[in-house]
Amino acid sequence: MMLPLYTHDLFGRATGMVLGTLIGIAFGFVLERAGFGRAPLLAAQFYGTNMRVFKVMFTGIATCAIGIGVLSGVGVLDLAQVTVPETFLWPQVAGGALLGVGFIVAGYCPGTSCAAAASGNLDGLVTYLGVGLGTLLFGGFYPWLEKFYTSSAMGVTRIDTLVGVPFAPVAVAVVLMAVGCFFGAEALERILARRGQTALPAGNLGVRNRTFVALAGLAVLGLATLGWQPSQAQEMPKPFGYISAIDLATRLSRAPDTLVLLDARPAGECKAARLRSAQCLTGQPAGFVASLPTTRQVVVYGNADSKALAQRLRAFPGEVLVLMGGYPAFAKAVLDPPLPPANPTPEAVAAYRTQSALHGYFTGNRQAPEPVQVRAAPAAPAGVSVAKKGGGC
Amino acid sequence: MSDQSPQDAGFWNPYFAGFMLGLVLLASFLVMGNGLGSSGAATRLAVSAAHAVAPQTIEHNGYFSQYFGPGKAVLDDWLVWEVLGIFLGAAMSAYAAGRMKLSITRGPRATGARRLVLALLGGILMGVASRIARGCTSGQALTGGAVLSLGSWLFMFAVFGGGYLAAPLLRRQWK
Repeated sequence: MMLPLYTHDLFGRATGMVLGTLIGIAFGFVLERAGFGRAPLLAAQFYGTNMRVFKVMFTGIATCAIGIGVLSGVGVLDLAQVTVPETFLWPQVAGGALLGVGFIVAGYCPGTSCAAAASGNLDGLVTYLGVGLGTLLFGGFYPWLEKFYTSSAMGVTRIDTLVGVPFAPVAVAVVLMAVGCFFGAEALERILARRGQTALPAGNLGVRNRTFVALAGLAVLGLATLGWQPSQAQEMPKPFGYISAIDLATRLSRAPDTLVLLDARPAGECKAARLRSAQCLTGQPAGFVASLPTTRQVVVYGNADSKALAQRLRAFPGEVLVLMGGYPAFAKAVLDPPLPPANPTPEAVAAYRTQSALHGYFTGNRQAPEPVQVRAAPAAPAGVSVAKKGGGC
Repeated sequence: MSDQSPQDAGFWNPYFAGFMLGLVLLASFLVMGNGLGSSGAATRLAVSAAHAVAPQTIEHNGYFSQYFGPGKAVLDDWLVWEVLGIFLGAAMSAYAAGRMKLSITRGPRATGARRLVLALLGGILMGVASRIARGCTSGQALTGGAVLSLGSWLFMFAVFGGGYLAAPLLRRQWK
């Protein structure tokens, strides 16, 4: 599993922003080339005279779906790491219908209004401003909308898991359905053009057919991945555990010899600042991971939690732990000076003592002073749960 | 059929455009692990502007409070950069094709002023709708559709349903 790339902690915030902008540029370019910067062309969808919106959108969905089906089928893409919008059944149906009405009133949807504004169309700019205002309106009415907004929550519900089949065959079904609908849409366009004595939408048959052939090829590949089982068995994920920043700091102060610490962040960040006794993983020669002593546990950390970190240590036969929250969590819990508890209950003071002792050990700073006075813990009100601890995203 | 030129002359073949759109969406999933979006950035920009005017009201709003707190910045999200990219990419494409022109696109019988009022109104409707549905045509229909999310598919059908239901009322605007 090499993809998605972000799971490897290869890029920090700055790289993420640049990549986001580049993807946006490609998106905007395609939207404008598709003709989506012109409201009358988009609105024609809803009068049947030009089904361009439907053709572009559905081809896009089918292409991406079958691409994901092929790549996850051959084990290159980890589907579990791809964000899938959660299903909230009725809010999505109602919101969709309302958005459809807004679409025909404005002549754009939010994304196409950006593309329109960028090509000089004032109506596009005004639409996008309206989207922002609508958001504020939603926020204003949120107390009344909240109940409906959070209703019929079904979590992440994918059609393939719902039906109980792999992703690829469902994606193939999407492709087949799309192509079938395209023939229907073109027939409707022809009928309406004849009746209204208007021009048929532009569209080179050769280009259309080549696109259909490409989709068919991808669909065949998608089906072929169903026979790909052997290599998936090879790709058994490396089992690993998690360790919290405070637990790691405690172990490092008591028994440092039982651990090997690896910094998996980009080489530059690792060289600039890493945990004491950690080695930079990036840039190590091949075979380094396999040569680590199996008598010790290996603790690896990046810029955040990531399952993929442990997978970089697949060659290590021993036990692997991933630092929860990565370097930022350790820096926050141990390297930053601890603040005395606002409410000095005995438990809070004990935790504060541990934290400031660890802070002193790792930074060489003197331990911070004791909080003024220990106060008895107030009885916890019934029904209030203990504060959430740890947890990745 | 008459010999007038179709209104979509000069643009990409829709199936080719859709194929390219699918590849861009796929690239977004492969790199960021996330699909595309555009209403999310509108939300963040609007919240950030409103916060500059009335910080207390916004921070204590039941919905907007999620954007505030220690270590959070309302504009610190990759979607904001992605939408900046949409502007740049669309501008590049329009400029290269000679389509960059200050104008108000409208139907043959619509006036410019009326068009702008409706554009604002439609935008507001979509702003509300995209928050209720947790995304718009990009973030739900395209993105969720490609990863086979059940709710996103229902959303997409509902968009077309709503559009077709309201279209006869707006005929004068577009035809």
